Order: sequence, then structure tokens, then C-alpha cells
Amino acid sequence: MPAVLTVDPRSGVPIYLQVIEQVKRSVALGILQAGEQLPTVKQLALDLTINPNTVAKAYRELERDGVIETAAGRGSFVRTNGSVESMKAAASDVARDAFESVVREAKSIGLNADDIRNLTNAAIDRWFQERQ
Amino acid sequence: MSTITIERLRKTYGAYVAVDDFSVTIPEGTVFGLLGPNGAGKTTTFKCMLGLARPTSGTILYGGSPLVPETFQRIAYVPEKSVLYEWMTVAEHVEMQRRTFRSFSVKQAQDLLEQFGIHLRKKARALSKGMRTATQVALAVARQSDVLILDEPTSGLDPINQRNVLNLIINEASRGATVIFSSHQIGQVERAAETIAVIDRGRLALQGSVDDLKSDRKVVEGIFPSEAFALDGIASDPRIGRIDVSGRIVRLLVTGGADEFAGKLDALGAGGVRVVDLNLEDIFLYAVAPSRATADVVEESPK
Repeated sequence: MPAVLTVDPRSGVPIYLQVIEQVKRSVALGILQAGEQLPTVKQLALDLTINPNTVAKAYRELERDGVIETAAGRGSFVRTNGSVESMKAAASDVARDAFESVVREAKSIGLNADDIRNLTNAAIDRWFQERQ
Repeated sequence: MSTITIERLRKTYGAYVAVDDFSVTIPEGTVFGLLGPNGAGKTTTFKCMLGLARPTSGTILYGGSPLVPETFQRIAYVPEKSVLYEWMTVAEHVEMQRRTFRSFSVKQAQDLLEQFGIHLRKKARALSKGMRTATQVALAVARQSDVLILDEPTSGLDPINQRNVLNLIINEASRGATVIFSSHQIGQVERAAETIAVIDRGRLALQGSVDDLKSDRKVVEGIFPSEAFALDGIASDPRIGRIDVSGRIVRLLVTGGADEFAGKLDALGAGGVRVVDLNLEDIFLYAVAPSRATADVVEESPK
């Protein structure tokens, strides 16, 4: 599991947000499965060489978002109860953030709403056609 | 041992003011990074915290109480300059620590020294600068103290041992110790520290949690159609720390409200508006050497 996560401490994105994003992404992609145990706070902090309170903060938010659950004395696990919903929510969180930044970028380059809609539709057409 | 509070610390040496009106609070069990250019007052602050230098004014409290010998016993310190005895072997230093500090773990010291690749039979004078640093870090950590104060604990170390020291800091924090350290390598502070303070010419330039600073501090950039533009309703906003103008390009250093300012630049007719994340090095440079943080600086905001 630790191999799944990497953080870039030198990025301008706070480390705890990077951890949250990556755990959600891993759950969404099925790399982390329902019921699977996450490393302890201390273990993940040492694996990634980051502050333990930063990891604890990320775990707290993941718990609040319903992605993981923590059993006292046993550790943190990917939620089994309602995991389909939490996986979908986790996936759409990741997708929404990615989408948000793409639209912002497109707008700042000077594209208008229609341009962006056309690009979006074209991308949807291409990706959903290929899957059939 | 609980929270460490430094209140309005001032330390002068003759006419030289080393630290001036410096206040920070360091909660128990956190890792605190002290950043600052050379000669900014980091080491003087540490010495005052340890009672090795007497503050000219101001107070330093451990859990609300001034430093007393019993508290001092629970603080381990690694000074920037080696204080090892040149003629003594590493093993003799271990023995000396064992006799001095009841909580000192000989086993842990030996394990850590081995991890750093330091031979117990070597005399201190035969150790490189980095190995001296590592020896002192190992001896300090093995004291299993409540507070660790580390002045440049990675200086002279190779990247592997730098990482070893960072993981020791993380390990110490995990068991509940409070760790205070300084480093010129901002990337290390960025990894290990939860909160930081920047000291510049003796004064507090900036403090906060690394996560909050990164979340709040952004550069908002926009490009206007011509060099004649006005920043109506923006220039006087207190959330703006600086305004840099380079021809048609304007960059705002903001603390909070980045998306709002992006919207305002957009509404004023700027194109290519984007919000740029800042890492700790950027934030540090903006705090202590603004001219290094961006190429073009204007003192007055354009009207």
C-alpha cells in the first residue's frame, strides 16, 4: 500500500491534501479495496518522510468524507459499509478537481464557454465511443 | 512538558540586536521549523530557550513556567557547532551521556550510531563535519527527552543520512516529543515541520502551519491588454502583500481570497488570469528577500 502513495513536499499544494487526493484516487481505481487496512499514521509518515500530524489530519478528513474508518486500537481501513457510494464519491471528487483546473486553464487562455463545451463534448464522444 | 511560549524575546550583545520582539507559541508534540537567513537570530533564540544566553527582555515559558533545572534535564540540544570532545572516542561520549542523563538509552544510541555508520572506537577528532553532526543527533535522540532542539541537524550530511535524521525527527514526534529545528534546506522543513516561523534580522517575519501558509498564500497573475490599467478596488485590499508589475503583467501576492482576486482581475479586463501555488521556499523568499522572489518590483501600486 505505501507504494501507492507518493507526495511532492516541494509542491505548493499542502501535503495533507496530496495524501487525501491520492487515497481517494486509489480507492476510486480499486487499488485500495474495501476493508483494506491503511498504514498507521506513524508508518506512513516514516514511509513518506512527512510530519505525522499531517498524515493524521489527512486520515481525519478521509474519515469525515466516508472514505475510511478507524477502529480504536486496530487502525484505519477503507470503508466496507457503503463503500460503493464512498468510492463513487471519491472518484467524482478527484474528477471534479481535475475538471475544475482544466476549465480554469481554458478560460484563462481565452476560450469562451461555448469553446469549452465543444471541447468537452468532443472529448466525451471520443472516450465513450472507444469503450464500446 | 506542554506548550512552549516565547514572548517578546529580545537579546542584545552590546549595540548589536540579535533578536528583537520575537514571539511564537510551540504546541506540545509538534515539529516546529525555524527558518531564517544566516545571522538572523536562530541560534541566539535557541540559546535563550535553553538558558545558555540570558534574554535582555521577554520571557520563555515551558507549560507556563520559566525554565528550571528539572525542565532543562528534559530538553536535548544539538548545537550548530560540534561540542564533542576531540580527544574522546564516540563510545566514551555515549558513556558520558549515560552517566549524566538517567533517561539515556545506550542501546538506542548504539543502534543510531550504527545506522549512521559511525564507529564507536573513533575519536571525535577523526570524524568529518557531517559525522559529528550525526553523532550529536544520535546522542540527543537517545536521551528520550520531551523536547529536542536541533540547530542545523543535517548540515554536512549526505542525502541518505539527511533522510535518516528527518525520519528520526518524525519518529520523535510520533512518540509525542516536541521537536524544534532549524535548517537552511527548506525542503526538509517542508517535509518534517508542522508549523514554522521565519526570523529575519532578529524579528519575526512570518509564522503559521505549513499547510495553512500554502493554502492561503498564492500569487494571482493577470495580463492586461495595454500597460495603462488600473487596479481599482484591489490595490488597497489588506490581503494583498505585494503588487508586482512588469509591463502588462500584474502579479498579486495574496493571503487568502485567491479565487476572488482572480475574478476581480478578470472583471478589470485582464486575460490569462491564473492562480499560482507557492511552495515554502517561495513563501520564505517573499518574507525575507522579496527582490529575489520576483524579477520586477515596484514600490507603489500602479494607478
